[in-house]
Amino acid sequence: MFPRSAARPFTVADGLIRAGIVGLVLGTAYIHSTLGGLLFTLNATGYVVAAAAMLAPIALASRLRWFIRIGLMGYALATIVGWAIQGPYYSTAYIAKAIEIALIALVAVDFVRFDGNPVAKVRREMTDGLAWLKSRRSEPAGA
Amino acid sequence: MKRLAPALGLLALGFVLVACSGGGGASNGPAVSADPNAVTISAKDLKFSTDTLTAKADTGFQIEFDNQEAAPHNVAIYKDSGFSQKVFVSEPVGGPKTVTYSVPALAGGTYYFRCDVHPDMKGTLQVQ
Repeated sequence: MFPRSAARPFTVADGLIRAGIVGLVLGTAYIHSTLGGLLFTLNATGYVVAAAAMLAPIALASRLRWFIRIGLMGYALATIVGWAIQGPYYSTAYIAKAIEIALIALVAVDFVRFDGNPVAKVRREMTDGLAWLKSRRSEPAGA
Repeated sequence: MKRLAPALGLLALGFVLVACSGGGGASNGPAVSADPNAVTISAKDLKFSTDTLTAKADTGFQIEFDNQEAAPHNVAIYKDSGFSQKVFVSEPVGGPKTVTYSVPALAGGTYYFRCDVHPDMKGTLQVQ
Protein backbone atom coordinates (compact mmCIF):
# COMPACT_ATOMS: atom_id res chain seq x y z
CA MET A 1 0.00 0.00 0.00
CA PHE A 2 2.71 2.46 -0.90
CA PRO A 3 1.42 5.74 -2.24
CA ARG A 4 1.93 6.44 -5.89
CA SER A 5 4.42 9.19 -5.04
CA ALA A 6 6.74 6.77 -3.28
CA ALA A 7 6.60 4.20 -6.07
CA ARG A 8 7.15 6.67 -8.87
CA PRO A 9 10.71 7.49 -10.06
CA PHE A 10 11.77 11.12 -9.65
CA THR A 11 12.51 12.67 -13.06
CA VAL A 12 14.30 15.83 -14.16
CA ALA A 13 10.93 17.44 -14.87
CA ASP A 14 9.84 16.59 -11.34
CA GLY A 15 13.00 18.23 -10.03
CA LEU A 16 12.37 21.38 -12.03
CA ILE A 17 8.77 21.59 -10.88
CA ARG A 18 9.81 21.03 -7.28
CA ALA A 19 12.51 23.69 -7.61
CA GLY A 20 9.96 26.07 -9.09
CA ILE A 21 7.60 25.45 -6.19
CA VAL A 22 10.31 26.04 -3.62
CA GLY A 23 11.50 29.16 -5.45
CA LEU A 24 7.99 30.61 -5.57
CA VAL A 25 7.36 29.72 -1.91
CA LEU A 26 10.57 31.40 -0.81
CA GLY A 27 9.86 34.36 -3.07
CA THR A 28 6.53 35.15 -1.45
CA ALA A 29 8.02 34.34 1.99
CA TYR A 30 10.74 36.90 1.34
CA ILE A 31 8.25 39.56 0.31
CA HIS A 32 6.13 38.96 3.40
CA SER A 33 9.18 38.95 5.65
CA THR A 34 10.08 42.47 4.49
CA LEU A 35 6.70 43.91 5.43
CA GLY A 36 7.22 43.89 9.19
CA GLY A 37 4.62 43.07 11.82
CA LEU A 38 3.65 39.79 13.44
CA LEU A 39 1.08 38.68 10.88
CA PHE A 40 3.39 39.06 7.89
CA THR A 41 6.29 37.46 9.76
CA LEU A 42 4.15 34.47 10.71
CA ASN A 43 2.97 34.19 7.13
CA ALA A 44 6.56 34.19 5.87
CA THR A 45 7.52 31.60 8.49
CA GLY A 46 4.67 29.36 7.38
CA TYR A 47 5.88 29.54 3.80
CA VAL A 48 9.45 28.69 4.81
CA VAL A 49 8.21 25.66 6.75
CA ALA A 50 6.18 24.59 3.72
CA ALA A 51 9.25 24.92 1.49
CA ALA A 52 11.22 22.74 3.90
CA ALA A 53 8.41 20.18 3.96
CA MET A 54 8.36 20.08 0.15
CA LEU A 55 12.07 19.25 0.09
CA ALA A 56 12.53 17.11 3.19
CA PRO A 57 13.83 13.73 2.09
CA ILE A 58 12.68 11.94 5.25
CA ALA A 59 10.23 9.07 4.81
CA LEU A 60 7.38 10.68 6.73
CA ALA A 61 7.50 13.84 4.61
CA SER A 62 7.58 11.75 1.44
CA ARG A 63 4.66 9.65 2.62
CA LEU A 64 2.61 12.76 3.46
CA ARG A 65 3.72 14.91 0.53
CA TRP A 66 0.19 14.83 -0.86
CA PHE A 67 -1.06 16.39 2.37
CA ILE A 68 1.74 18.96 2.34
CA ARG A 69 0.78 19.92 -1.21
CA ILE A 70 -2.87 20.40 -0.26
CA GLY A 71 -1.82 22.36 2.82
CA LEU A 72 0.46 24.59 0.76
CA MET A 73 -2.25 25.28 -1.81
CA GLY A 74 -4.72 26.05 0.98
CA TYR A 75 -2.21 28.30 2.73
CA ALA A 76 -1.50 30.28 -0.43
CA LEU A 77 -5.20 30.53 -1.19
CA ALA A 78 -5.95 31.74 2.34
CA THR A 79 -3.19 34.35 1.98
CA ILE A 80 -4.70 35.58 -1.29
CA VAL A 81 -8.22 35.73 0.16
CA GLY A 82 -6.95 37.56 3.25
CA TRP A 83 -5.20 40.09 1.06
CA ALA A 84 -8.26 40.50 -1.18
CA ILE A 85 -10.32 41.35 1.88
CA GLN A 86 -7.86 43.59 3.70
CA GLY A 87 -5.30 44.77 1.15
CA PRO A 88 -3.04 46.66 0.80
CA TYR A 89 -3.31 47.00 -2.95
CA TYR A 90 0.02 48.14 -4.31
CA SER A 91 2.73 46.95 -6.66
CA THR A 92 4.65 44.63 -4.31
CA ALA A 93 1.41 43.05 -3.12
CA TYR A 94 0.37 42.35 -6.71
CA ILE A 95 3.73 40.68 -7.34
CA ALA A 96 3.27 38.53 -4.23
CA LYS A 97 -0.22 37.51 -5.32
CA ALA A 98 0.99 36.65 -8.82
CA ILE A 99 3.67 34.45 -7.24
CA GLU A 100 1.06 32.75 -5.06
CA ILE A 101 -1.27 32.09 -7.98
CA ALA A 102 1.62 30.59 -9.95
CA LEU A 103 2.54 28.58 -6.86
CA ILE A 104 -0.94 27.09 -6.54
CA ALA A 105 -0.90 26.15 -10.22
CA LEU A 106 2.54 24.54 -9.99
CA VAL A 107 1.68 22.61 -6.82
CA ALA A 108 -1.50 21.38 -8.52
CA VAL A 109 0.59 20.13 -11.44
CA ASP A 110 2.99 18.45 -9.01
CA PHE A 111 0.06 16.85 -7.21
CA VAL A 112 -1.47 15.43 -10.38
CA ARG A 113 1.89 14.10 -11.58
CA PHE A 114 2.57 12.28 -8.33
CA ASP A 115 -0.82 11.44 -6.87
CA GLY A 116 -3.34 11.76 -9.70
CA ASN A 117 -6.78 13.17 -9.08
CA PRO A 118 -6.68 15.14 -5.78
CA VAL A 119 -10.26 14.21 -4.85
CA ALA A 120 -9.62 10.53 -5.48
CA LYS A 121 -6.37 10.72 -3.54
CA VAL A 122 -8.00 12.33 -0.51
CA ARG A 123 -10.80 9.74 -0.60
CA ARG A 124 -8.27 6.93 -0.85
CA GLU A 125 -6.26 8.26 2.07
CA MET A 126 -9.39 8.74 4.20
CA THR A 127 -10.55 5.21 3.41
CA ASP A 128 -7.13 3.81 4.30
CA GLY A 129 -7.06 5.86 7.49
CA LEU A 130 -10.50 4.68 8.59
CA ALA A 131 -9.59 1.06 7.79
CA TRP A 132 -6.45 1.44 9.88
CA LEU A 133 -8.45 2.87 12.78
CA LYS A 134 -10.99 0.03 12.58
CA SER A 135 -8.25 -2.56 12.56
CA ARG A 136 -6.72 -0.95 15.65
CA ARG A 137 -10.06 -1.04 17.48
CA SER A 138 -10.79 -4.66 16.57
CA GLU A 139 -7.48 -5.82 18.02
CA PRO A 140 -7.99 -7.54 21.36
CA ALA A 141 -6.92 -5.50 24.37
CA GLY A 142 -3.41 -6.29 25.54
CA ALA A 143 -2.55 -8.05 22.30
CA MET B 1 17.81 12.37 -9.02
CA LYS B 2 16.31 12.81 -5.59
CA ARG B 3 19.52 14.54 -4.56
CA LEU B 4 18.99 17.07 -7.31
CA ALA B 5 15.78 18.50 -5.87
CA PRO B 6 17.32 20.34 -2.89
CA ALA B 7 20.08 21.75 -5.09
CA LEU B 8 17.56 23.01 -7.60
CA GLY B 9 15.52 24.47 -4.76
CA LEU B 10 18.51 26.41 -3.48
CA LEU B 11 19.27 27.62 -6.99
CA ALA B 12 15.71 28.86 -7.36
CA LEU B 13 15.94 30.56 -3.97
CA GLY B 14 19.05 32.39 -5.11
CA PHE B 15 17.28 33.67 -8.21
CA VAL B 16 14.27 34.77 -6.21
CA LEU B 17 16.30 36.57 -3.57
CA VAL B 18 18.38 38.38 -6.17
CA ALA B 19 15.25 39.35 -8.08
CA CYS B 20 13.44 40.53 -4.97
CA SER B 21 16.32 42.45 -3.47
CA GLY B 22 16.25 44.92 -6.32
CA GLY B 23 12.53 45.45 -6.16
CA GLY B 24 12.15 46.70 -2.61
CA GLY B 25 11.68 50.34 -3.54
CA ALA B 26 8.12 51.02 -4.37
CA SER B 27 7.23 53.99 -6.51
CA ASN B 28 6.95 56.99 -4.30
CA GLY B 29 4.20 58.97 -5.85
CA PRO B 30 4.73 62.55 -6.84
CA ALA B 31 7.95 63.86 -5.32
CA VAL B 32 7.74 67.61 -5.13
CA SER B 33 9.60 70.11 -3.02
CA ALA B 34 8.01 70.51 0.38
CA ASP B 35 6.46 73.83 1.24
CA PRO B 36 6.98 75.37 4.70
CA ASN B 37 3.40 74.55 5.62
CA ALA B 38 3.74 70.89 4.77
CA VAL B 39 2.37 68.40 7.25
CA THR B 40 5.19 66.23 8.54
CA ILE B 41 4.95 62.70 9.85
CA SER B 42 7.40 59.86 10.23
CA ALA B 43 7.21 56.11 10.79
CA LYS B 44 9.46 53.95 12.93
CA ASP B 45 9.01 50.61 14.75
CA LEU B 46 5.66 50.17 13.03
CA LYS B 47 4.33 53.39 14.58
CA PHE B 48 3.60 56.83 13.25
CA SER B 49 5.30 59.74 15.03
CA THR B 50 1.90 61.27 15.73
CA ASP B 51 -1.72 60.22 15.76
CA THR B 52 -3.01 63.73 15.03
CA LEU B 53 -2.39 65.85 11.94
CA THR B 54 -3.87 69.23 11.06
CA ALA B 55 -4.26 70.93 7.69
CA LYS B 56 -5.96 73.95 6.22
CA ALA B 57 -9.40 73.52 4.69
CA ASP B 58 -10.09 74.07 0.99
CA THR B 59 -6.40 74.33 0.20
CA GLY B 60 -4.17 71.66 -1.23
CA PHE B 61 -1.36 70.71 1.10
CA GLN B 62 1.69 68.53 1.21
CA ILE B 63 2.55 65.64 3.48
CA GLU B 64 6.23 65.13 4.09
CA PHE B 65 6.49 61.51 5.08
CA ASP B 66 9.73 60.17 6.53
CA ASN B 67 9.79 56.39 6.65
CA GLN B 68 12.68 55.60 8.97
CA GLU B 69 12.60 51.82 8.65
CA ALA B 70 12.79 49.15 5.97
CA ALA B 71 9.17 48.04 6.30
CA PRO B 72 6.99 49.72 3.66
CA HIS B 73 4.51 52.33 4.87
CA ASN B 74 2.21 54.87 3.33
CA VAL B 75 -0.13 57.60 4.48
CA ALA B 76 -3.66 57.05 3.28
CA ILE B 77 -6.49 59.43 4.17
CA TYR B 78 -10.08 58.29 4.54
CA LYS B 79 -13.32 60.09 5.20
CA ASP B 80 -14.57 57.57 7.72
CA SER B 81 -13.10 55.82 10.75
CA GLY B 82 -13.89 52.47 9.14
CA PHE B 83 -11.37 53.34 6.41
CA SER B 84 -13.71 52.52 3.55
CA GLN B 85 -14.04 55.92 1.83
CA LYS B 86 -10.70 56.83 0.33
CA VAL B 87 -9.78 60.47 0.02
CA PHE B 88 -6.08 60.18 -0.71
CA VAL B 89 -3.95 57.07 -1.02
CA SER B 90 -0.22 57.00 -1.63
CA GLU B 91 1.98 54.08 -2.68
CA PRO B 92 3.74 52.37 0.24
CA VAL B 93 7.43 53.09 0.31
CA GLY B 94 10.24 51.15 1.95
CA GLY B 95 12.72 53.15 3.96
CA PRO B 96 14.69 54.79 5.12
CA LYS B 97 13.31 57.36 2.73
CA THR B 98 11.46 60.66 2.79
CA VAL B 99 8.75 61.36 0.26
CA THR B 100 6.43 64.30 -0.22
CA TYR B 101 2.84 63.84 -1.27
CA SER B 102 0.51 66.50 -2.63
CA VAL B 103 -2.94 66.15 -1.17
CA PRO B 104 -5.82 67.86 -2.95
CA ALA B 105 -7.92 70.46 -1.13
CA LEU B 106 -10.22 68.96 1.47
CA ALA B 107 -13.36 70.40 2.99
CA GLY B 108 -13.20 71.16 6.70
CA GLY B 109 -13.83 68.28 9.05
CA THR B 110 -12.29 65.22 10.62
CA TYR B 111 -10.56 62.67 8.44
CA TYR B 112 -8.73 59.49 9.33
CA PHE B 113 -5.32 58.39 8.16
CA ARG B 114 -3.50 55.09 8.38
CA CYS B 115 -0.78 52.98 6.85
CA ASP B 116 -2.57 50.60 4.50
CA VAL B 117 0.10 47.92 4.98
CA HIS B 118 -0.16 48.08 8.77
CA PRO B 119 -3.72 49.18 9.62
CA ASP B 120 -2.86 49.48 13.31
CA MET B 121 -0.82 52.57 12.41
CA LYS B 122 -3.53 55.21 12.30
CA GLY B 123 -4.66 58.62 13.48
CA THR B 124 -6.94 61.54 12.75
CA LEU B 125 -6.49 64.46 10.38
CA GLN B 126 -8.21 67.68 11.39
CA VAL B 127 -8.91 69.91 8.41
CA GLN B 128 -9.97 73.40 9.49
